[in-house]
Amino acid sequence: MILLEPHNYIIQTTLAEKFIKPSSLDVQFVDFDGVRFHLSTPDRKTALLLSMNIRCWDELVQYGALDVLKREYGPLLQAQPESEYNVSLLVDLETAPPEGEERDNFVKSLALLKRNALAAPFERAFSTQKELESSGAGQGDLLQIHYRDEEAIYVQAAHDRVTVIFSTVFGEETDRIFGKVFLQEFVDARRLPTIQNAPQVLYTNREPPLEIRHIQGLRDSEDIGYVTFVLFPRHFNNPTVAAGTISHIELFRDYLHYHIKCSKAYMHSRMRYRVSEFQKVLNRAKTEVASTERKTVTGRTLTTR
Amino acid sequence: MSNVLRPYLAAVRSTLTAALTLENFSSQVVERHNKPEVEVGGSKEVLLNPLTISRNENERVLIEPSVNSIRLSIKIKQADEIERILCHKFTRFMMQRAESFIVLRRKPVKGYDISFLITNTQTETMLKHKIVDFIIQFMEDVDREISEMKLSLNARARTVAESYLIAFNP
Amino acid sequence: MSLLAPIICDNGTGYSKVGFAGNSDPSFVFPTAIATRGPASQKQGPSVPSKPGHLASKRGVEDLDFFIGDEALANAKTPGYGVSYPIRHGQIDNWDYMERYWEQTIFKYLRAEPEDHYFLLTEPPLNPPENREQTAEIFFESFNIQGLYIAVQAVLALAASWSSNKVTDRTLTGTVIDSGDGVTHVIPCAEGYVIGSAIKHIPIAGRDISQFVLNLMRERGEMANVPPEDQLKVAGKVKENYTYVCQDIVKEFRKYDAEPYKYFERFDGEYSVTGRKYSVDVGYERFLAPEIFFNPEIYSSDFLTPLPEIVDGVIQASPIDVRRGLYKNIVLSGGSTMFQHFGQRLKRDLKQLVDSRLEASAVSSGSTQKSSGVEVEVISHKRQRYAVWFGGSLLASLPEFYSSCHTKAQYDEIGPSIGRRYQIFGSAT
Repeated sequence: MILLEPHNYIIQTTLAEKFIKPSSLDVQFVDFDGVRFHLSTPDRKTALLLSMNIRCWDELVQYGALDVLKREYGPLLQAQPESEYNVSLLVDLETAPPEGEERDNFVKSLALLKRNALAAPFERAFSTQKELESSGAGQGDLLQIHYRDEEAIYVQAAHDRVTVIFSTVFGEETDRIFGKVFLQEFVDARRLPTIQNAPQVLYTNREPPLEIRHIQGLRDSEDIGYVTFVLFPRHFNNPTVAAGTISHIELFRDYLHYHIKCSKAYMHSRMRYRVSEFQKVLNRAKTEVASTERKTVTGRTLTTR
Repeated sequence: MSNVLRPYLAAVRSTLTAALTLENFSSQVVERHNKPEVEVGGSKEVLLNPLTISRNENERVLIEPSVNSIRLSIKIKQADEIERILCHKFTRFMMQRAESFIVLRRKPVKGYDISFLITNTQTETMLKHKIVDFIIQFMEDVDREISEMKLSLNARARTVAESYLIAFNP
Repeated sequence: MSLLAPIICDNGTGYSKVGFAGNSDPSFVFPTAIATRGPASQKQGPSVPSKPGHLASKRGVEDLDFFIGDEALANAKTPGYGVSYPIRHGQIDNWDYMERYWEQTIFKYLRAEPEDHYFLLTEPPLNPPENREQTAEIFFESFNIQGLYIAVQAVLALAASWSSNKVTDRTLTGTVIDSGDGVTHVIPCAEGYVIGSAIKHIPIAGRDISQFVLNLMRERGEMANVPPEDQLKVAGKVKENYTYVCQDIVKEFRKYDAEPYKYFERFDGEYSVTGRKYSVDVGYERFLAPEIFFNPEIYSSDFLTPLPEIVDGVIQASPIDVRRGLYKNIVLSGGSTMFQHFGQRLKRDLKQLVDSRLEASAVSSGSTQKSSGVEVEVISHKRQRYAVWFGGSLLASLPEFYSSCHTKAQYDEIGPSIGRRYQIFGSAT
């Protein structure tokens, strides 16, 4: 598995199961970036309530998340979300689409709840770009999404592009160094002819890029870095492409961290192998001790502990 | 083995072989104890002159002989940040398993990355020249392993970045 | 971010149970299997770094090409993939595979950022501390988790029994009977510590019961119209849905013979390949199947000690001052203890053993004083099937959990040896 998937696996499997066999339920689970979900059947077995808590909800609402969710889920969206959660969807198993592809798509769309909520600022930026394009100059507002405690996404539209900036903080020394190697490759990869069409990537350590330099309270320390993606209109002209771009870019941080962890796991297995090789070399130094198995009269083996 | 490394390793090999003349020696301080004198450092007269073999400022070996034990510490080449962290990870991983590497010390001597402690019991129960072989082999392989790990990290990062960016292609 | 629920991972030999603390059931239960490229070599070095030549490190991400759980089994037949089971006899056998197994569990299935979570893992009794160190090394260094707690499975099963209404005090003293698919363990615990010297294993578990049901049904000729490859599955279904423990076999046989229509059940199945329907009658195996725990001679010829005797032996082998506590709190865990009335039967048989011993000792000592008796209690509860996981979920939702964990900061300070010991917590005594 190289790429992460945008939908939540637990929502997908649980819902698919409940469509076949409804039963009462009350589970809590999470998604990347501190998103919490609560799936329950408060009234009856066939009415599932799916609630989500996301850190940056207030910012997302400001950028039109409610409209996006209304468009995606329509009547399912509850006016009053469950307490402690930001948004709730009520899924009635009885009125849901029949079995088959239609239902699979329905379940899948529910599993994309987090992705859709986070999509709002990107969609807004894309449409701002369209408006600016005709005027040929100018810049849209800087949209800020503080999706983690210490990290944020900044999105800004200009007349010919949309800039997405991720601030990244690595908690650990190893991660920081591995992360740097990875990010450098992101910057360099675009030279390959096959990826010429990909967005341009820039990476700066410590120094914030021009677009966000005016923001107050940015952290100034060695462990912070900024990754800038420059999206051109070809990345979001057509609605399906735009949707793909959004799903993909939202997962950038998780993708990066997933791979840092995978490389560490890979290093571990290399080291395990190498250490066992060294062990073999050292064992050659041990002199052979003639070990004859000694037995008692009853046939039991004597072993030294 | 690369030719540039050969004189350095040959020097370590001959010094170590010469230094591995250990004998059983009871502690002069505590009755009925027998301790590696190089670690205890209690009686100066049984310690011999420590010796450093250095290839350059980043690669050197410290050999501290004594009457019944010898301590060998290695500073491994670290060209940059990545090699430094990989080297640290690798030596730590190995020292974590020191139990099975009889001659390995759990902690390196200050200023070095990894240390070995060879006592007279070990030279008596194991083949001396094979222990030397092990140390030399280790020095040879560890450099290669670290640079290979670095290469594979870079290769990995490239594949990862490419697969992420390629997905943007409409 | 500590609001996020801790993750509970119970990796067993056969199945892994993973999910979030506070829930009553694991989010995922799938086989502890991993399908990797290349042959499923168990003992050789890892398939990836074994050839650290230039070409192998060129692509660099072959080690991400693998599947776990159900997907691993589904891909078992795909050319190029081999399935291996990284856990053997409860202990981790192949650390490379296990590390990757965890990696995918966390990122693909749970979709959790490990840096934001505490983890509770389980281990079998008598797991060497080196294994704990290695586990801690993987979780803290590869995954950077916030905190880790490794608990013994038997102790978690005891904690799970607190949910039963029969349990009044939350004690971690008791005997755990853990019966899964492969083997049954009887494990005595005193105040959260396993009494290692007294543990006993019984080579009868779920798989044997299914096989026994199959034998019985074949002998009666019921399996004649069931396709051969489905037979074991049918036997498994019959075991799960129709069986119960009776109090007296002879009476039960008479009951069935007098009114067969009342007691015989009918099982309907469908052939998975052709879709042909078939049905079989389910008879005596309904009560005979679980009987092999109590009268093993009906199934096996080399293991003949009934379960109650084993339990009694285990408790008698434990220190004398905890025996009362062990008799008083016998806890069932695992799928093969789910038979109806299993607990009652075990309690009755065990009580008989204990009482007869007391009587014999009273007679042989010739004393006129009478013993006040020993209380025997077997606890069954609703969460028995995933008792270990549920116990973990219960403990990890307690506020003390966070203070009993080893945190990342502590790990960085002390190193992997920190994983050797964990504080016991949660018991009210």
